[in-house]
Amino acid sequence: MADIQYSWPDRDSSKVIGGRQIRLDGMAKSTGAAKYAYDINLKNMLVARALGSPHAHCTIKSIDSAQAEKVPGVVHVHVLDHAKPGREIRWQGELLVIVAAETEAAAMEGVSKLRVEYEPLEVFVDEFNLEAAKKAGRTSKDGGKVQLEKEPGDDEDEATFADKELERLFKQSAHVVEGFYGIDAITHCCLEPHGATVYWDNDQLIAYLSTQNVSGTDEGFANDLKIPADKIEVRCQYVGGGFGSKFAPDYWGTAAARIAKATGRPVKLMLSRDQEFKLGGNRPSAYLKVRLGADKDGVVTVWDSDHWSSPGADGPGVPQGVIPYVFAPKNYRRAVTKVTTNNGPARAWRAPNHPQGCAITQTAYDDMAARMGISSYDLFLKNLGTDDSPGVAGAKPSVYAAEMEIAARLIDWKAKWHPHGKGARRGDIVDGLGMSLHTWGGGGHESTCTVKIHPDGGVESFCGTQDIGSGTRTVCAMVLAETFGLGVDAIRINYGSSRFPVSGPSGGSTTVGGVSESHRRAGQEALAKICEMVAEKLGVPAAELIADDGRIKARGDAKKSVAWKEACAMLGMKPLEVTATFRPSRNKSPLSDTKVGGVQMAHVEVDTRTGLIRMRKFVAVQDMGLIINRRLAESQIYGAVIMGIAYSLFEQRISDPASGAFLNADMSKYNLCRLGDIGEIVVEMYEPESERSRGVIGLGEPPVIGPGAAISNAVCNALGFRVPVLPLTPQRVLEAIKNNAGRA
Amino acid sequence: MHAFDYQAPTTLREALELLSKPQQSARPLAGGTDLIDQMRVGRLTPEVVIDIKKIAELNALRVDSGGLHLGAAVPCYRICSERAIIDDYSALVDSCRIIGGVQIQSRASLGGNLCNSGPAGDSIPSLIALQATCLIAGPQGTREVPVESFCTGPGKNVLRTGELLIELRMPRRAPHSGSHYRRMIPRNEMDIAVVGVGASVQLDATGKTIVAARLALGAVAPTPLYAESASQLLAGQPVSDALIAKAAQAAREIVKPISDMRGTAEYRVHVTGVLVQRALQAAIVRARGEACDYRPGH
Ligand SMILES: Cc1cc2nc3c(=O)[nH]c(=O)nc-3n(C[C@H](O)[C@H](O)[C@H](O)COP(=O)(O)OP(=O)(O)OC[C@H]3O[C@@H](n4cnc5c(N)ncnc54)[C@H](O)[C@@H]3O)c2cc1C
Repeated sequence: MADIQYSWPDRDSSKVIGGRQIRLDGMAKSTGAAKYAYDINLKNMLVARALGSPHAHCTIKSIDSAQAEKVPGVVHVHVLDHAKPGREIRWQGELLVIVAAETEAAAMEGVSKLRVEYEPLEVFVDEFNLEAAKKAGRTSKDGGKVQLEKEPGDDEDEATFADKELERLFKQSAHVVEGFYGIDAITHCCLEPHGATVYWDNDQLIAYLSTQNVSGTDEGFANDLKIPADKIEVRCQYVGGGFGSKFAPDYWGTAAARIAKATGRPVKLMLSRDQEFKLGGNRPSAYLKVRLGADKDGVVTVWDSDHWSSPGADGPGVPQGVIPYVFAPKNYRRAVTKVTTNNGPARAWRAPNHPQGCAITQTAYDDMAARMGISSYDLFLKNLGTDDSPGVAGAKPSVYAAEMEIAARLIDWKAKWHPHGKGARRGDIVDGLGMSLHTWGGGGHESTCTVKIHPDGGVESFCGTQDIGSGTRTVCAMVLAETFGLGVDAIRINYGSSRFPVSGPSGGSTTVGGVSESHRRAGQEALAKICEMVAEKLGVPAAELIADDGRIKARGDAKKSVAWKEACAMLGMKPLEVTATFRPSRNKSPLSDTKVGGVQMAHVEVDTRTGLIRMRKFVAVQDMGLIINRRLAESQIYGAVIMGIAYSLFEQRISDPASGAFLNADMSKYNLCRLGDIGEIVVEMYEPESERSRGVIGLGEPPVIGPGAAISNAVCNALGFRVPVLPLTPQRVLEAIKNNAGRA
Repeated sequence: MHAFDYQAPTTLREALELLSKPQQSARPLAGGTDLIDQMRVGRLTPEVVIDIKKIAELNALRVDSGGLHLGAAVPCYRICSERAIIDDYSALVDSCRIIGGVQIQSRASLGGNLCNSGPAGDSIPSLIALQATCLIAGPQGTREVPVESFCTGPGKNVLRTGELLIELRMPRRAPHSGSHYRRMIPRNEMDIAVVGVGASVQLDATGKTIVAARLALGAVAPTPLYAESASQLLAGQPVSDALIAKAAQAAREIVKPISDMRGTAEYRVHVTGVLVQRALQAAIVRARGEACDYRPGH
């Protein structure tokens, strides 16, 4: 058999790919038939609930579970290792003791009867206050980088040279801006909390886990439980939100397995809402002080920044690599300080670090435009550079430029833009426009898929991937439907088990690239085998056969064809099974690629007396290579923009500075968007042939990066000065108005 | 949630008997949108929940020569769909349209909103502005309480054990009068008020002078407040921006807000003034019979 050339059909001959197929599991989800880990109820199952630490920082002195054990219905009490007497607890909500009972109510009552003695320790949660953090000994240097066009002389000290050279560059600059920008920590706020329902089948562990990583979490269980990984099956059909926080079994997942072992019964342990907020992950805060200089045209040539970032108690903060964001000035110095607090540890959050990088630096670029009295559009455009000599470290300048033009048209930039702070007032209302650029990799992850074709024409696939709500099932079915010339309903997609061929975790927007690669490859290989059989029958070379419209046909000769079922019947009694793997490598695959760019623009209205901001319109223009499902791609972008509006205007983790308590760990107090808050959202796909021909690239993350900067810039355009820290709460807006009295 | 009994009496007498049984703690349930949540989190643990929605008196909704009779258990959506109430008691409708969303409005009652006695209850400033009286029945018979004296602290009110709020009564709308309620919330819908202001004004026939006014403030003190001096300084004065600003200042002086994560005290004081101005302006526009350009959320 000749080597198979993997490829996608071109735009005109695609029947399924690029279409607007609705989600295959939409009905199951909207009727509640879809079973999430939270919905799995097994016979004889125990329900477990956990006691979380009320203190943000303490040591455990003693734990007394006698009363809890006496509660009717309580079956098992499990003290976690990290909560044994003498151990230090470093954030509020950290689970200490798990109570498993016949009912949830009994488990909760059991938890309420646990008696724990704590020795409170000093608490620090005021990450915004760098001086206080230093005083409390909570800061550490966290990398940094200096890059200058000029090199120091042989005998020159690098740091002194950098000081001098930066000063020289600033002196030379036609325009200099100094600014302060920040973005508070937010949490992942998954609607389905973290957790699992688990049971043992003899020595085999079956875990229904709410996870973004079906193929990779069995190892996590195995390591922790010290059993072979082949004795574990992780299952997950649906995930109610992960956003980067659900890659591991977590200690509560393995604790559930231990309790199940000890009691010989299935156990369900899901975090409570409050615990989900405190433990389920958060996105690091970041605050930046910067001086930047531009030439007379507004091209930023020198950047000198110092930022601090807090990932809570553990984990990395926002690194220097995203400073400034997308733009790549020729000379820069960027220093980073990490602040450690008594908040739960950070986890990857949709496009880790990019939203913060974008929000705290493209605002500074916008302030440069304001300083120069020019349109942000013009300044951003000038700083793009050209494809031959890019001024950006993201997608190609020509892609950004084309997207900017589209976005500007959609938001009516030319007619609506006014110099910062110079717009017409309607009573107390002023409005403004702002924009931002973003970039992301989104190359496919490693993925293996087995395609099975039954002699009766049935097609199914097996792949250890998961659908985190982005539509993976639908995408896989569309790829195979296109490949075999069938309808999506004719394809059965099997995923969500660690027993299936390995596929990567759904993080980094890598899933659509990975699974469309593995499914297309396995599909093309299986089709080639079917075509070989049909070739003999029709007397047409296999290479001349195509799958289309439920038939295998000779290209250009409609009379020579057999129905798909008939072709498959030639398999005899045995189904055909083909497995293919995609491994990302340096060599570009014909099916997928990496790196996208997007442009976003916001139109806001600010009430200068109450400080309230209203979204009028938000435009998101995005490239993503070849689009498999236009509806789902758009839906990813709508979702991302809504999430972005939330963290720009409302969302913030609020900690009590004295006790470290997470004050708004509750859906009614943790402000996400309501529908009435989002205004009009316009999504436009940038898919010219130059981009489509690159193949599939992920887009789950990129569109969530830009809203912070775009909205902050729009507010600055409205008011004429910056509200420095996101979220832009009414109170912060009013403070900024007060601090800039006379300028509004 | 703890286990409890449920009763649904169909007469007032039955309900009052159930409520005053000494051996068990009882709680009336209207829409349940406050009660059930408070039971879920363990804040309230009544042994018996008495559904009052099946009692005729508590479902009254009519305007007669004496004014508006609003049964304590009437849900918001019914209030919003009565033409006579939309025209004559606009502030009440403004309140009912922003309490929760459609689902909540289908259940939530103003009796429940008032008896829950939250400082930020969105109907209470409107009831105060519209001069409502509470009709209360109990083991000792019935009594009337002006609505501004009903709440005594966060979650506390004048109801004694065994008493039930039956009806809210509001006088007939005076000629050339109008009313309005608005609140400040960080989002545009479904939130707890940071500040809420109810206003009603009566103008003279020319529409240029204020004959009488009532201003009420929510979320800025332990109970919703009747802003008496701010209301009185408006009476007899020609309408002007300066006058309205003066009333706003007087309102600012009586508020005693707390600082919490929804807003600092200073911010609430500031916004009180802004909202008083806006609420008064809208009430005046309505009093003149003009259309009021108001979108909830502002
Ligand atoms: C999602 C959501 C959104 C909400 N949004 C808002 C909002 O925007 N603004 C706002 O103000 N509130 C809001 N609320 C709170 C609540 O909906 C209102 O306070 C509502 O008016 C309560 O009415 P109810 O009929 O449901 O009261 P219930 O819950 O039935 O009762 C409330 C309390 O009053 C007592 N009670 C009820 N009727 C009587 C009576 N006749 N006599 C004596 N005692 C009585 C009950 O025992 C209980 O303690 C919201 C609630 C939810 C769940």
